[in-house]
Amino acid sequence: MSTDRETTRLVRSWLEEGATRLPDRVLDAVLDQVSTTPQRRSGWSAWRSYRMNTYAKLAAAAAAALVVAVVGYRLLPGNGGIGGSNPTTAPSPTASLLAKGTFVVAGSFNTTIDATGSGSNVSGTMTARDAGTAQGFSVDLQCERTIDGVLWIGGDVTETTYADSPKGTRIAILLKPGSPVQGIFAFQASDPPSASCQAFFDDMLALGASPQGLQPITGTVELAP
Amino acid sequence: MDTEVVIRAQRGDAEAFATLALAVGDRLHAVSQRILRDADLAEDATQSALLSIWRDLPQLRDPARFDAWSYRLLVRACYAEGRRTRQWAPNLRVLSADEPSGPDAMGLVHDRDQLERGFRRLSIPHRTVVVLHHYLDMPLEQVAETLGVPLGTVKSRLLHAMRGLRAALDADARPARQEAVR
Repeated sequence: MSTDRETTRLVRSWLEEGATRLPDRVLDAVLDQVSTTPQRRSGWSAWRSYRMNTYAKLAAAAAAALVVAVVGYRLLPGNGGIGGSNPTTAPSPTASLLAKGTFVVAGSFNTTIDATGSGSNVSGTMTARDAGTAQGFSVDLQCERTIDGVLWIGGDVTETTYADSPKGTRIAILLKPGSPVQGIFAFQASDPPSASCQAFFDDMLALGASPQGLQPITGTVELAP
Repeated sequence: MDTEVVIRAQRGDAEAFATLALAVGDRLHAVSQRILRDADLAEDATQSALLSIWRDLPQLRDPARFDAWSYRLLVRACYAEGRRTRQWAPNLRVLSADEPSGPDAMGLVHDRDQLERGFRRLSIPHRTVVVLHHYLDMPLEQVAETLGVPLGTVKSRLLHAMRGLRAALDADARPARQEAVR
């Protein structure tokens, strides 16, 4: 029977074998495409050390299948007022309310959400439009889940002009209550998409997804208590 | 990595990016090759990762962390390739003429084959942890940071993966070795 140490030694030795050089044609192909590939300069999330943020431990996009976009928003202050410099969460006026509000995503995405229900019985819509490019998408919201204090509301893209989120893409908005509230978008760039809205959450978690880049945003939103 | 080159590439300097790609291409490809165990998939993953690096470089907030960030993009690309192709091509291996022969050598070759089979049974996330830790010598904390997952997840994946590889060696290698000696 192999010992742990022997197994480790064999694995390390075995991993040393094999190709280590990138073929020139691959590098050439990359450099050829650079001239026609624009760099992303705003809007979508930057990579950061998850140590910078507790919620980054939930982080998204360990896989190429996931792309996370940063949005920001803030909630109604506790007294029910709208906006303000230090927004806080507000209790929902109705039992079925899940999320409702209009907010600007870190100066980039103008977002409107109106959703009711819970679990896999969510109904509602969300629209988002990039103020910089005027590209955007609409989402048919279908499910929600609260994971480590962050509310995930997911659904399918029904209309889109945004290149990274074609019709049928599963998208979630992740909202972290607090003062200020923070949020991000996460969408699935893989093909085929997850089997269901809830499976999308599961797949994201299985891939080590976490909402990196949570940022405060401007605007208002009400969340379920 | 020279942070000045990274910063220039962040600003859209294609020549600087070419320098960057040349510097990191080999090591990224070595990692993708080991995770995916397929030359074509590894080339696709490396190419995809390099393009992602170019596209997303302006969003890298700390140029000094380029290496860890680039590995993260590579892992994403490997995950995508792994999801796209679940059927792996058979990997035939021949004993080269300059390798030693005899029972011990047969055992070593057999170990490699069993490791190959055992490794292919692992999920891409499990393979990734093994490669980052045992090939790149990344401390587990750095693996966790690179993958953006908790340290406990990394430890769990590594434990599971190494158990799987050990089981592959124990379950298959011994009878075959005995067969080879007879």
